Amino acid sequence: MSTSDPQPGKEKPHLLRKASNQKMALKEKIVQIYEAFFQGEDPSYGNPNFWDELFLLKVNTTFLETEIEKLNGEGLVNMKDNFNLLFFRATECLKQENPIRVVNAMQTLCALVRGIFRKSHGSCGFDVINLLVGFDSAETVMQTLVECLNAFLTGDHPSGLKLLTLKFLLILITATDNVSQNTLLEYVMMNSVFEAVVQILGHPTQRQLLGHDAALVLTLLVQYRKYESANPYVVKLSILDDELALTGYAQVISVLLADFNREYEKQSTEVHTGGWFSALASMVGNMFVPEERQIELVRAKDSLLLALYEAIHLNRNFITALTHSHTPSTPATPPSSPSPPSSPGADPTSNPKEPPPLTLETASASHPTSLLVTFLQYSSIVIQDTKDSIRYNNAKLCFIILTCISEDQYANSLMHDANMTFRVPLHRMPMRHRKAKVEISPPLRPLVCSLLDLMVEFVMSHMMKTFPMELYLRGLGIIHRVLCYQKKLRVRIQYPWKELWTALINLLKFLLSHETQLAKKHNVFHLCSKIVNVFNLFITYGDTFLPNPNSYDELYYEIIRMHQTFGNLYSMALRYTTTESEHKDSAARLTNHLVNVRAIINHFTPKVDSWAAAHQQSSLTEEQVLEVVRGNYDTLTLKLQDSLDQFERYTEKPKEVPFFTNLVRSIICDVRKSVSNLSTQHQELLQELSTIS
Amino acid sequence: MASEMRVKCQLHDIQVHKAAVHHHHDSARECLDDPEGRGKFEVNGNYAFNPELGESPSETVAGAVECSCDHGSEKMEELVTALANGLPEKMIGAEKAHVTFSLKEDEEEVVSDDGTAADCESSAHRLPAIAEAVKSRGRGGGHCPRSREAMKAMVHNQVIYEQPTSPHAHLLERSMSYSTVEAQISKDLLKQMQTSLFLNQTDKDTSQGQSHDPPHPSQNAETEANDTDVVAGSVTDSDDKSQTETEDRSQTEGEKTESESEQNDASKSSEEDAPADPSQRASVPKRALCLPRPFRFKDRKSKDSEKVTDKPPLGPSAGRGGKGKVPPPRQSWLLRLFESKLFDMSIAISYLFNSKEPGVQTYLGNRMFSFSEMETDFYLPQLLNMYIHMHDVAEAVHPYLLHRCRNSVEFSVNAAWILDAFSSDCLKPNWKNSQGVKLKNLILNEELRPMPAPKVMMSLHSPTGPSPLLSSSPPSAKKTHHRSRSEATAYTDSMLLETMPEAPRPRKKKSELSGSLGRLDRLFMKHSESTSALTNSSCTAAGDLASGRAFDSGCKCMQSSEALINSLTGRQTPCQCNAPRLQPEVEFVQALMNIGSKLQHLPTKELRTSRLIAELAMLNLNLPARVWLPVAEDYTHHVVRIPHTQAVVLNSKEKAPYMMYVEILQCENPLTSTLPSKMLDNTLRFTRSEEDLTHFNHLNHRANGSPRPEFSVYGNGHEFDDADCWSQEDDEIMSLALRCRSSDTISQISTESSTSADSKDPVYIAAGDIRRRLSENISAPKKKFERDPEDPSAAALKEPWGDKVERIRETSPYGHLPNWALLSVIVKCGDDLRQELMVYQVLKQLQTIWAIEHVPLWIRPYKIVVTTNDSGMIEPVLNAVSLHQIKKQSKLSLMDYFVHEFGPSNSEEFLTAQKNFVQSCAGYCLVCYLMQVKDRHNGNILLDAEGHIIHIDFGFILSTSPGKNLGFENSPFKLTSEFVEVMGGQGSDMFEYFKILMLQGFVASRKHSDKIMPLVEIMQTGSQLPCFSKGVSTVRGLKDRFHMNLTEEQLQLLVDNLVESSLHSLTTKLYDGFQYFTNGIL
Repeated sequence: MSTSDPQPGKEKPHLLRKASNQKMALKEKIVQIYEAFFQGEDPSYGNPNFWDELFLLKVNTTFLETEIEKLNGEGLVNMKDNFNLLFFRATECLKQENPIRVVNAMQTLCALVRGIFRKSHGSCGFDVINLLVGFDSAETVMQTLVECLNAFLTGDHPSGLKLLTLKFLLILITATDNVSQNTLLEYVMMNSVFEAVVQILGHPTQRQLLGHDAALVLTLLVQYRKYESANPYVVKLSILDDELALTGYAQVISVLLADFNREYEKQSTEVHTGGWFSALASMVGNMFVPEERQIELVRAKDSLLLALYEAIHLNRNFITALTHSHTPSTPATPPSSPSPPSSPGADPTSNPKEPPPLTLETASASHPTSLLVTFLQYSSIVIQDTKDSIRYNNAKLCFIILTCISEDQYANSLMHDANMTFRVPLHRMPMRHRKAKVEISPPLRPLVCSLLDLMVEFVMSHMMKTFPMELYLRGLGIIHRVLCYQKKLRVRIQYPWKELWTALINLLKFLLSHETQLAKKHNVFHLCSKIVNVFNLFITYGDTFLPNPNSYDELYYEIIRMHQTFGNLYSMALRYTTTESEHKDSAARLTNHLVNVRAIINHFTPKVDSWAAAHQQSSLTEEQVLEVVRGNYDTLTLKLQDSLDQFERYTEKPKEVPFFTNLVRSIICDVRKSVSNLSTQHQELLQELSTIS
Repeated sequence: MASEMRVKCQLHDIQVHKAAVHHHHDSARECLDDPEGRGKFEVNGNYAFNPELGESPSETVAGAVECSCDHGSEKMEELVTALANGLPEKMIGAEKAHVTFSLKEDEEEVVSDDGTAADCESSAHRLPAIAEAVKSRGRGGGHCPRSREAMKAMVHNQVIYEQPTSPHAHLLERSMSYSTVEAQISKDLLKQMQTSLFLNQTDKDTSQGQSHDPPHPSQNAETEANDTDVVAGSVTDSDDKSQTETEDRSQTEGEKTESESEQNDASKSSEEDAPADPSQRASVPKRALCLPRPFRFKDRKSKDSEKVTDKPPLGPSAGRGGKGKVPPPRQSWLLRLFESKLFDMSIAISYLFNSKEPGVQTYLGNRMFSFSEMETDFYLPQLLNMYIHMHDVAEAVHPYLLHRCRNSVEFSVNAAWILDAFSSDCLKPNWKNSQGVKLKNLILNEELRPMPAPKVMMSLHSPTGPSPLLSSSPPSAKKTHHRSRSEATAYTDSMLLETMPEAPRPRKKKSELSGSLGRLDRLFMKHSESTSALTNSSCTAAGDLASGRAFDSGCKCMQSSEALINSLTGRQTPCQCNAPRLQPEVEFVQALMNIGSKLQHLPTKELRTSRLIAELAMLNLNLPARVWLPVAEDYTHHVVRIPHTQAVVLNSKEKAPYMMYVEILQCENPLTSTLPSKMLDNTLRFTRSEEDLTHFNHLNHRANGSPRPEFSVYGNGHEFDDADCWSQEDDEIMSLALRCRSSDTISQISTESSTSADSKDPVYIAAGDIRRRLSENISAPKKKFERDPEDPSAAALKEPWGDKVERIRETSPYGHLPNWALLSVIVKCGDDLRQELMVYQVLKQLQTIWAIEHVPLWIRPYKIVVTTNDSGMIEPVLNAVSLHQIKKQSKLSLMDYFVHEFGPSNSEEFLTAQKNFVQSCAGYCLVCYLMQVKDRHNGNILLDAEGHIIHIDFGFILSTSPGKNLGFENSPFKLTSEFVEVMGGQGSDMFEYFKILMLQGFVASRKHSDKIMPLVEIMQTGSQLPCFSKGVSTVRGLKDRFHMNLTEEQLQLLVDNLVESSLHSLTTKLYDGFQYFTNGIL
C-alpha cells in the first residue's frame, strides 16, 4: 500500500535497486508506463487503446516531475518526441467526455508543464515550447488546449474540474518567474480565455468557489508584456462592461480582503483580551510572533491588491462596482471557524458571498458595505506598520490604488454622495498617547470622509525616523486630489477639517525638528510645499468647499495659533535658498508657496496682540481670537497662486514599472508555490468529484 | 313526466351550451377573427323567460324555469325562432314548449306553444302581484318582464346604435353581419311558420292583457333591420326623459326576477338527488351567455336532422325586427336606461351590485365589453371585490375579466394584485368565495394567454364544452343539475368526438385548459391541478437578484433574427415561446416589497437609508428589464435604471415606506418592444476618445446581440494605449457639472481668476471676499431643505421636481435618450392600502364631478396600486412637502412660509398661491367631511409648490379613527386658524370664497352622489377593512352626509356650521398636541 502511494521521488530508485519482484509488482502501473516512457519507448505502439487506458489511471505527478527533474539537458532533448506525444495525447483526451480521463489528462499536463519549465529554468522559452509541444504542432495543439479549457470553464461541468482548469492555467502562467518571458502564454493570448474567466466572475455561485483563481488568472494574464505590446487581456479588461462580472470581480476581492480584516481583528482582540498586564508583559515577547503572522497575511493579499489595482486602473466601469454597496456575506463578528484566507476556494460553504435570502437577523445585524469600504479598512491595517519592505510595498500599492480612485471623477462623485453613506471601521495604531482602537460602530458617512480620516491617520502615525517619504507624498496627493474635486464641483462635505489641519501642521513640526536627518535623504521642501499648498487651497478657495463660514475662521485661527511653525518653516526654506544645495529650487518654491500663510500671520498677529493689550488679557480664548479674525478680514489681501488645483495624473508606465515588475515577480512565485502544493492535494478529491458526476 | 321532459330538454341544451362555451372563447379571444362571435350581446334570451317563470312555484314550472334558462343561453334555435317571432310570453310560460324542444321538432314546438298558451296566460297574470309584493324590499335592478322581447330587440339595436361611438368597431361589424345573415334565414323560416305563429301570438297577446306588451308580428320585421336603428334612437331619447320612471319600474321588475330566481333555486334543489357524474359536476357551467350562430348550426347538424339545420337562430334578430316595427309602448325601463346615453360604467357597476337578476347581471357583464378599458379599469377594485364576494356577479363578469386578462398583461397583473388583496378577508375559502383566489391563481399561473391561431382553437375546444347546461341558473342551484346533465354530457361528448375525429383524445386535457373560458368550475378544477406547474418550470434565475436576470422571463423570442429585424425597423416582436408573461413584473414588484420588509427590521432611518440604497443597487443589476412601474399613468415603458442613491426612506416609525425614483424609457409595449441595452453608469460621460467609442459600441452590440458592422470597425486591431485609457476629459465634464450647479455663480470668480493667473502679474484677492462669499453661499435663502439624516425625505421632497429630473438626467447613462423619463414611487410594505385605493377612487370621482359642474375646487388624487392586503405602491405627490416638514425645516408659521416662498402678501405669486390654497382647502375639507378622514396631523397634510394643500394617508376614514375611535378629532374636518390666516383671516374675502366653494362643491357632489356611493358601498361587501367596522351604518352614514334632503339654503347653513365648528374645534388642537408629544409632529 505504502508503495503505491507516490513516494518522494528519491526513494523510488532505491526501491527499484532492491530488485525485489514483490516490490516491483506493487509498483503502480502508471509508474511502469512512465518508466517505459522515460526510456524513450513509445508504449502506445501497437496498442490502439493505450491512451484511453492510460488516462484512466491515476496520474502520479510527483513521479513524472521528478523523472523530468532527473534528466539532464541532453536527455531532455532526447525525450522531446515523447513529451510532445504525451502532451498531444493529453490534450486530445481533454476533448473526451469521461471526466476521469479529463482530470488525469489535465494533471498530466500540469506535471509536464511544471516539470519541464522547472528544468529549463532561465533558458529561453522557445526551447520549452519545442520540448513540450513541438514547434510544428504547437499552434494547433495549444489552440485545442485552450478551447478545451474554455469549454471546461464555461460549460456545465463539475466545479472541481473548473477549479483544476484554473489551477492548470495558473501553472501555465507562473511557469517562469518573469511572466513576460513565458512565451507559452503567447498561445493563451491568441486563444483567449478572458470570456470564460469573466463568465465565472459573473456567476453568483461559481465565483464563490472559483472567483479567487479566476481573478488571479485574469490579473496575471494582464501582466504579460503589458508594457511592450498590445496585450488582448489588457484591452478586454479595460473595456469590460458586464456589470455583473465587474460586480463579481469586486466581490471576490472584497470577500477576501474582508477575510483578512476579520482575521486581523480577531488577532488584535485576542491580544487585548489578555488583560492590561498580560498584554504589556507579552508585548516584548510577542513582538515577532504575531508580526510574522500578519506579514504572512499581507503577502497573501498582494495578488488581490494587484487584481484590484488592474481593475481600477484599466477599467472605468469598475468604479461602479467599487462602490456597489451590498450586504456583507458573513456577519461582521468573526465566524467560529474562520477560513484560511489563502485558500478561499477550499471552503465554499463558509463564505456564501451573496446569500440572496438573507435571514432577517443577519440582515438587520449586518450593514451594507462595499469593496471600497473593505479596502479602506484593509488599508488602515496595512499602513499601520511600514517598516518591513513587504508591508511597505503593500501599503504603497494601497496608496497607488487610492490615488487612482481619488483621481477618478466618477469615483469622487460616488464618494461624495451624501446619500451613499457607509460605516468604515478604520484601525488606528496604538501609540504612546492613545490606545489602539477601532470604532465599533463608526458613524454613517460618505466614503470620502473615511478616506480623509485614513490619510489623517497616516499622517499622524508615521512621523518616524525611517520616514516613509514616498507614502507621505502619495498621501498628500490623495488629499490634494479630493480637495480639487471638491473645489471644482463645489461640494461641501461635513468634515472636521480641523483634524486635517492639525495633522498637517504636526507633520510640518516633525519635519522641522528632524530637518537635519531628513534633508539628507529626502527632498523635504517638496513635501512641505505640498502641505502648504493644501493650506493654500483652503485659504483661497475655501469658499467653494468649506461647509460653513466658521470653518474658514477656524482655519485662520489654526494658522495664527501655529504661526511659529510656519515662521520656522519659512526661515528654514530661506536658509536653503541662500546656501547652495540640491534643494535650492524646491526651497525657493516653498517660500513662494508660503506667501499667503505669512500674509495671514503678519496681518492678524498684531491685531490679536493689540486686542489682547486693549483688553488687558495675556492669553486669548479661541472665541476671542476668532472674533478678531472675523473683524479684520477686509483689510487682508491674498495672492492667488497658480495651479493650486493642478496635479500630475497618475501614470504607471515610466515611473512605477519597476515596482510592478517586482511585485508581479513575487506574486508569481507565491502563486507557483500554492499551485504546486494544491494540485497533488486535490487530485484524489477531484477524481472523486468527477466519478460522482 | 316533467322530469323526463326536463332531461330531454337538457340533453338538447347541453349541446347548445357547449357551443356557448365556444362562443366565449371566441368572443374573448378572437373577437376580431370571428365575425359571428357576437353572442355576447344576446343576453336577452336569459331574462326573456325568467320573469314569467317566477310565477308558479310548482315542480313543473321549475322544470320550465330551467329550460328557459337554457333558452336564455340561447342554445335552442327552435325556441329562438318562436321567440324571435315575438311570442316570448308564450314560450316562457310554457313548460310544455320545452318538452317540444327536446323533441327537436320545430313545427311541433310551435304547436305546443299553442297548447301551453293557457298556462302562460295564467302565470302572466300572476306576475304583477308578486312583483308588488316583493317591491317593498327595495331591490333595484331587474328588468321589465313584459318586454323581454323588446329587451332583446333593444340589446341588438343598442349594439348597432352604439357602434359608431364604441371603440370596438369589430363588434359592430359582427352584429351587422349577423343581422343580415339572420334576417335572411329567418325570412325563409318565417314563411313556413307564419300562419301558426301569428295565431298563437295574437292569442297570447290578448290573453295576457295589458300587463304584457302585445307581441307583434315581428317575423317580417327582420328584413327591416335598418329601420331599427332609427327607432332605437328615438326610444333612447325618450328614455332619457323618463329616467326616474325607468328606475322605479325596474325596481319592481327586479323584485319579480328575484322572487322567481328563488323559485328557481327551490326547484333546482329538488333535483339534487339525480345521479351526477362528479367530473361533470365540476364543469358545470354557470351560464351560457351567448351562442355564436355557426356553432349552433354545427351542433344541430351533428346531432339532429338536416331539417333542423335549416332553422336559423332567430331570436335576437327577430326581436330587433319586432321592435323596429312596433316600438313597444311600455318597454323595459331598465333596458332603456341601459342603452341610454347616460348609461356608463358607474351605473353598470351599481346595477351589477344591486341586481340579483342573472339576466341583468349577464347583460351588464356583456356590456362591459363595450365600455372603454379605461372606464372599466377605474372600477376594477369594485368589479373584483364583487367577483370575490358575490358569486353571481363573478359569473357575469368572468368572461370579461378573462378577456381582458388574455389581452393585457398589465390588466392581468393588476387584477391578480387586487384579487390577492381583497380575497385575503375571506378567512375560510369555500366554494362560495373561492372564485377570487382561483382567478388570481389562474392569472398568476399564466394560464390566460392570448389565443393561439383560431383554427387550432376550434378543433381543440370542441370536446371541451360538454356541459353548459346550467348557464343562467343561479350558482346556489349549481349542484342540482349535475345529474341530469351528466348523461347528457357524456352523450354530447361522444357525439362530438365522433363528429370531430381530428380532435385527438389526449389533447383534450390541454384544450380544456385553454378552452374553459366561460366555465368557472372547470377553471377551478383545472387550476388546482396545475397550480405549481408553471412556477416550477419557470426559469431559475427569476427573482434571484444576484443573477442579474431576476426579471427575465426567459423568453428567447427577442433574440431571434426576426426580432432583430423588428427592432431595427421599430416593429414589435410578440413572444411566441411560452415564457411567463407576468413573471417579470410580479418579480419586480416583489423585489421592491422585499426591500421594504427588510428595512422594517432596521432601527434607525440612517441604517434604513443606506440599506435601501444597497438593496436598490442590487436591484439595478437586473435592469433594464421588461417591467414597468405600476403607479405610472400607463405601462408603456421599460424600467431601465433606479438611481439608487436618490431613494429615501419616508417618515414612519414601524413601517418603512420608501420613495424611489425610477428611470424609464417609453416604448410601445414593454413586452414586445425591443429592450434597451444596458448602459453603465459612467459610460457615456466619458465617451470621447476612439477607445471609448469602441467601448460604447461594444456594449451596444453585446447587449442587443445585434452586430453593427458600421461600428465594429473599431472593435479590433485597435492599438491599445495605456495612457489613452486613463485620459479623462475632465474639463468637459466639469464644465457640464458646473452648468448644472450654476446656482452659486459668485464663486465663479475664483475659478476665473485662477485661470487668469497665468499672466505674470500676481492677482490679489481680498480674504474678506472669500469669507463673504462663503457666508453668503451658506446663508443664502435656499429653496432647499438641508439634508437631515433623521428626515431624509424632507430634502428629497423639497427639491423641485424639474430640477431633480434634470439632475438625475445628467448623471444617468440613459438620460440622453429622447424617450427617457423619470418617475417616482412610494413603496409601502406592511400597510394596507385598500382604503387608500377606495379614497383615490372617490377623490377621482369627485374631481370629475367638480370638473363637470365647473366648480373650481382642487384636489389631487394620487394613484394607488394595491399588491397585497399589506403592501402596495403610491404615486408620490410631486413638489410637495408636509406641513410638519415645513415647520420643522423653516421654523416659520404657515403664513410666514407662504410669504417666504411666494413673496409678500400682495404680490401676484402670493395671491395665486392663496387662491390655490383656498380652492384645495375647500376641496379637502369637503372630502374630509364626507369621508370622515381622520388622523389629520400636519405630517399628513402636504403643501405643494403652488400653494395647494394635499391630504395624504387615508388610513382612518369613515367608521374608523385613531385612538380606538375615542373621538380625538370630532370636528368635521381640519381647519386650523393657521389655515384661516393664510386665507386672510375670518371674514376676509378669501375666507368667504372658501365657504362659497365648499357650498358649491357640496351641491355638486350631492348631485352626483350616486356616482360616489357605489364606490364605497361595493367595497364594503365582505370587507374587513377598519373603515367599514360599523357595518351597514358606515354606508348609511356616508349617504346621510350628503344631506340629500336639505335645500340649498339649509346646506349653506350647514356648511357655515361645519366651518365654524371645525375652526373652533378643541379636538383639532388636542390632536395636534397629541401628535407632537407622541410622534414629534409639529
